[in-house]
Amino acid sequence: MIRVGVKFFGPLRDVVGSDEMDLSVSPPYTGESAFEALSSLYPKIGMWKSSLRLAVNLEYVDFSSVVHEGDELCFVPPVSGG
Amino acid sequence: MVAVTSEPIDPAALLERISSAESGGTDVFVGRVRNQTGGKKVRKLEYSVYLPMAEKLMAQIENEIREKWEVHDVVMVHRIGSLSVGEVAVVTAVSAVHRKEAFEACRYAIDQIKSAVPIWKREILEDGVRWGNEGSCI
Repeated sequence: MIRVGVKFFGPLRDVVGSDEMDLSVSPPYTGESAFEALSSLYPKIGMWKSSLRLAVNLEYVDFSSVVHEGDELCFVPPVSGG
Repeated sequence: MVAVTSEPIDPAALLERISSAESGGTDVFVGRVRNQTGGKKVRKLEYSVYLPMAEKLMAQIENEIREKWEVHDVVMVHRIGSLSVGEVAVVTAVSAVHRKEAFEACRYAIDQIKSAVPIWKREILEDGVRWGNEGSCI
């Protein structure tokens, strides 16, 4: 198990009810496994999957990317600036 | 220069800031809070941001613009917090020798902000509340 930080914004923040949390992630320690860990805690997040992008340490990456102990993750809901 | 601010944005001051004697063309995009969306009357919009990532991405967009086009100066400023109808939410502006570069780069700046920069608007409508882009989710 590794621990990562997760930030929440927009509609995901509403679902979780918090700005951030520490999350335990199981092997293979990817964005995918982090998302599975999160959606087991908050099942409603599962239905957002197809519309979310993953950012690790402030950069967009694929869900298949490896995450490391202490990384800052954000599952980014569709942005709507402008 | 890129910035995310909770203070009102003054487009004229930003235009002045990037204008120079060698810039023959300056293009400015000003995005304001519209009074309706999808036929629903808008009361206000509440913008939130993932600040360190937004600042990093906006700086990257400025760098990309400087690589792609020959420009003199670039400004991207986005407001966050609670905005009323008519208030300025975003300004992008580019100065260059000629108009072509200024137009193209300015459009690229606002298009990139809208598609990639982690900023979200919550729409406070006359008959409810929803997140911008909600139709494209789920």
